[in-house]
Amino acid sequence: METKKTNKKLIVGIAALVAVIAILAAIFVIFREKPVEGSKSITIEVVNKSSESENYQLKTDAEYLRQAMEEADGLTFSGTESEYGLMVDTVNGETADYNVDGAYWAFYVNGEYCMYGIDTQPVEDGDTFSIVYTAGQ
Amino acid sequence: MAKSEKKHKITIQDIALIGVMVAVIVVCKEMLSFVPGIELVSFWIILFTLFFGWRILFVVPVFVLIEGCIYGMGLWWIMYLYVWPLLALLAYLNRKQESVWFWSILSAAFGLCFGFLCAIPYFVIGITDNGIRGGLYAGFTWWVAGIPHDILHCIGNFVVMLVLYVPMRKIMKKLRCSLQL
Repeated sequence: METKKTNKKLIVGIAALVAVIAILAAIFVIFREKPVEGSKSITIEVVNKSSESENYQLKTDAEYLRQAMEEADGLTFSGTESEYGLMVDTVNGETADYNVDGAYWAFYVNGEYCMYGIDTQPVEDGDTFSIVYTAGQ
Repeated sequence: MAKSEKKHKITIQDIALIGVMVAVIVVCKEMLSFVPGIELVSFWIILFTLFFGWRILFVVPVFVLIEGCIYGMGLWWIMYLYVWPLLALLAYLNRKQESVWFWSILSAAFGLCFGFLCAIPYFVIGITDNGIRGGLYAGFTWWVAGIPHDILHCIGNFVVMLVLYVPMRKIMKKLRCSLQL
């Protein structure tokens, strides 16, 4: 009798978990930021350690920022691959090493801090991306 | 009287045990940091709470502090300040449970809620910048972006607990007896 009750609780628990996963998956599919396909005009601004700014204007079909950055003529960047995509540490030859002095490259889209890594940050027509050398506190 | 005094005194053994628990959590976290969705931090915090009780009150803050020293105390660190203590609290409140399925489901549910819990600071920042609507937008966008990771985290936590809970429980019981805790 007790085993039957326990089994019932177990089934209810697992079913609830699966149901919540399904709901979350549906929320993700409906509300996630969707990339816009087609030609888009965007601006990528790089602000280096000396606060000097360099602008790259390009027309791109890139859906995500990383591809657009790769297409930007004259813009170079590198970093380490992680589970969240590329973690950029060097832009135009200038390295921000968080482990040395807490500095990092901050990414902004239209003035707002990017919510995604560059591999998943959607690109939309008219977007202005800023890549800013940010010194440690 | 003697028993009561012993109850409130932190012994050298306790300090050593707390150090070992923190080391186990940190090493396991770093070793698995490249595998998406798989982590042993939740597993160990639950197990240590169940078997070593109040010592988790020292283990979690020290672990959080070490993580802050390793990676820098950014916004993510604020999340760690309440997410892991919350898990320890949940484990403590359910400490009478012994079912592997119960702990697997709880651990999985925690993994699933992880992104939601971590979205709270974004919600607060959004409120300070653009009011409640801005806060909801910032928090919701951040949470939605991480849902695939949360689902992976959920499945990972479920499997880890299902596989490791029973053998580790036996080891922990023996350890507790040998340490006379």
